[in-house]
Amino acid sequence: MVLHKFGEKLYSGLVTTMTSHLKEISNSIEAAQGGLFLDELNRKWAEHNKALQMIRDILMYMDRTFIPNTHKTPVHELGLNLWRDVIIHSHAIQSRLQAILLENVRRERSGEVIDRGLMRSITKMLMDLGPSVYQDDFEKHFLEVSADFYRLESQEFIESCDCGEYLKKAERRLNEEIERVSHYLDTRSEVKITNVVETEMIESHMHRLVQMENSGLINMIVDEKYEDLGRMYCLFRRVSNGLVLIRDVMTSYIRDTGKQLLTDPERLKDPVDFVQHLLDLKDKYDKIITSAFRNDKTFQNALNSSFEYFINLNSRSPEFISLFVDDKLRKGLRGVTEEDVELLLDKVMMLFRYLQEKDVFEKYYKQHLAKRLLSGKSVSDDAERSLIVKLKTECGYQFTSKLEGMFTDMKTSQDTMQGFHASHGSDIGDGPMLSVQVLTTGSWPTQPITTCKLPAEILGICEKFRNYYLGTHTGRRLSWQTNMGTADLKATFGKGQKHELNVSTYQMCVLMLFNDADRLSYKEIEQVTEIPTFDLKRCLQSLACVKGKNVLRKEPMSKDIVDTDTFLFNDKYTSKFFKVKIGTVAAQRESEPENQETRQRVEEDRKPQIEAAIVRIMKARRVLDHNNIVAEVTKQLQSRFLPNPVVIKKRIESLIEREFLERDKGDRKLYRYLA
Amino acid sequence: MHKLGRGHRDKVQQFMTITGASEKLALQALKASDWHLEGAFDFFYGQQSHIKSYTNTTHLEELYKRYKDPYTDMILADGITLLCNDLQVDPQDIVMLVVSWHMKASTMCEYSKEEFFTGLQALGIDSLEKFRERIPFMRSELKDEQKFREIYNFAFGWAKEKKSLALDTAIGMWQLLFAEKQWPLVDHWCQFLQARHNKAISRDTWSQLLEFARTVDPALLNYDAEGAWPYLIDEFVEYLNENGIIQNGQFK
Repeated sequence: MVLHKFGEKLYSGLVTTMTSHLKEISNSIEAAQGGLFLDELNRKWAEHNKALQMIRDILMYMDRTFIPNTHKTPVHELGLNLWRDVIIHSHAIQSRLQAILLENVRRERSGEVIDRGLMRSITKMLMDLGPSVYQDDFEKHFLEVSADFYRLESQEFIESCDCGEYLKKAERRLNEEIERVSHYLDTRSEVKITNVVETEMIESHMHRLVQMENSGLINMIVDEKYEDLGRMYCLFRRVSNGLVLIRDVMTSYIRDTGKQLLTDPERLKDPVDFVQHLLDLKDKYDKIITSAFRNDKTFQNALNSSFEYFINLNSRSPEFISLFVDDKLRKGLRGVTEEDVELLLDKVMMLFRYLQEKDVFEKYYKQHLAKRLLSGKSVSDDAERSLIVKLKTECGYQFTSKLEGMFTDMKTSQDTMQGFHASHGSDIGDGPMLSVQVLTTGSWPTQPITTCKLPAEILGICEKFRNYYLGTHTGRRLSWQTNMGTADLKATFGKGQKHELNVSTYQMCVLMLFNDADRLSYKEIEQVTEIPTFDLKRCLQSLACVKGKNVLRKEPMSKDIVDTDTFLFNDKYTSKFFKVKIGTVAAQRESEPENQETRQRVEEDRKPQIEAAIVRIMKARRVLDHNNIVAEVTKQLQSRFLPNPVVIKKRIESLIEREFLERDKGDRKLYRYLA
Repeated sequence: MHKLGRGHRDKVQQFMTITGASEKLALQALKASDWHLEGAFDFFYGQQSHIKSYTNTTHLEELYKRYKDPYTDMILADGITLLCNDLQVDPQDIVMLVVSWHMKASTMCEYSKEEFFTGLQALGIDSLEKFRERIPFMRSELKDEQKFREIYNFAFGWAKEKKSLALDTAIGMWQLLFAEKQWPLVDHWCQFLQARHNKAISRDTWSQLLEFARTVDPALLNYDAEGAWPYLIDEFVEYLNENGIIQNGQFK
């Protein structure tokens, strides 16, 4: 017919015929009752499709020639459009179809089983008719109704469930919807419906869930509910600001806990315990982040910044961390495998990195290390060195050069002693055995100058050593550090019991006096030994007032040492141990006044460092304004400590005074470098 | 004067009052600057440098001999006291500071011969009478903003010992200087220093204090904490706030 130019007639005939045919079909579908409606629709649709195919084949010529020329809708498409217009969009069918589809979904959500295959066919039909048909006739309403459904359900759940249960339910619904889509909806609906669930079930109730009493985020953390936490993480990740919420609540909790720990005077009494607590806290949160939060970097960062925040709340943190290390290196690491030692040291380094006042740590570490080395109390030389290497890697060689110097001195002293004994071995004979460590002044912590009269027996051999040493090292000066030494004394008591007493040098001086006298007054002891008052009192206290170590008796028997006390050799002293340790050389938490003193020294040390930084900066920049100098100095020094802007200002003024800098004549906020 | 209009007459009066110049000089200066007061001042002060050549060196020698110390070639404390008496001026009078400034004296309580000559020549003085006449002029110089600053900063170098200024001396000078310049906080400043600082004053603090007095209002409304003021001044501000001297932007 086309060939004979009757294309128009053919086409319009097609339209008419099909339309009226479809109208009949429409009626029959409408007539279908209840559940059969969908069935009927589906069947007629299948038939229609088959018919369309045949028609298209038959009218292929028209399709290829007439239709393109006249810009008319191709046959197949025409067939679909007509189906859409006549059937789907027919008044009676359209709303009914929608209602039934949504009802099926609702039933399925309540647990009923529905004919998924049928659903699939229908939705496929809608999609074939055009994406807008699927969307407008079904999807749009589907989403709306689902939103209402979940809004209601989530409200119910939140009133009746605790956080963990709620999250389980939310997760289940989410998975259901995803499954639903895969079975009978268009794949593009997945993200839309999951959005709905996320919004209604998670986003709307985010805050309430996290803050839920007895079951919210904090409780999960405290009770280590990794599974629940993991679930929360996955669900909250889907909504904007979900993770931010978790992170913020967690962070403020960590900060509060940390702050409490840092300001609790009970906890602070035992530094080693305190630091152990810090490490445990870190471990706990690390575990949560790895097991439940997928090692999320932003959470790691939040944890780090929280630790950094509260560790620095207490100005004694550097001291305590050093004491912790001291305890471990002294005895805590005995019997621990090399691997575990490394692990522990790495953890210590991690805490060290959080410290703002690293220079304070350095000071204490040096003091404690000195005591360890001199009393020979280090459990493992390798562990000591390993930590030094780690510190060097972190802070550069300047930080550790003095520490390394201390180790070198110890080694050198060993060699020196060997040489001394080799050359003087015969001289010594029965006299006291001397062991000397020669310390290079710059490397070891500064010591106050000590006065102390050594007993005659000791002086002799000390002189011999001095001559020997200076003989091989001219130009050097030696001074005995009587406040740092130890001595082993063989003592015989009343009934002939012999004990070996390990005491400090001061204590030795005091005890030796009792070789010639049975009783001595405080004043007499003070006069002969010339030991400084504070030290003498402490020394006498540990010799006379400590149970189990009272080799001296004091009259009167009071607790404190006063000028009027008298001391007697305690004939009746007993101990079940042959060797008795009385010395007080171990590192201890500083008393308040000692702490103040150390802090002052640290402040003094900082001044030249700040000045050096200012000069470096001004030399490079030549002219710079005040605020920028403060910022640059802070940046340069922050790896060691946080400089106080007031101190920086004072140093600038001092440099102006000494004519390193001057103020700009025009702008008083500007400084110039004076070459 | 009669030929002058009222406006010009007023200007002449004003000029004479401010500079202490004679009527003749006032007229000369104002005419030269076309009756603009500012210009007249510039002209007048510029003239001073020419006056140097009109001083009689012999007279100066005589004057110097009168005051110099019998054993050294310098004027020392006694000589200065005598000079003040002759001038009928209190030795503590701030005008003596201005005199020292003209002399570029290196330290207080003594004048070298050179300093004496330099100063008096710069002022056009070769007799006691002329000296006395110049005193009002010198007082007027303190009213000039620029000169005051120079004299103020000169004072530090002149009164210092080694590198810094003893606190008592500083306080004394501040009170003198700020009596001229009127800084309401001067007494509080001095009290603060005595209570909290008790050490010598550095040059930077001295010179920055003038800037502070000049630019920051007594109620501290425009005090900028980031303004790179010396820390002593920052502490002073704290002191004022702590003691309720400045409250809510009000100066009591």
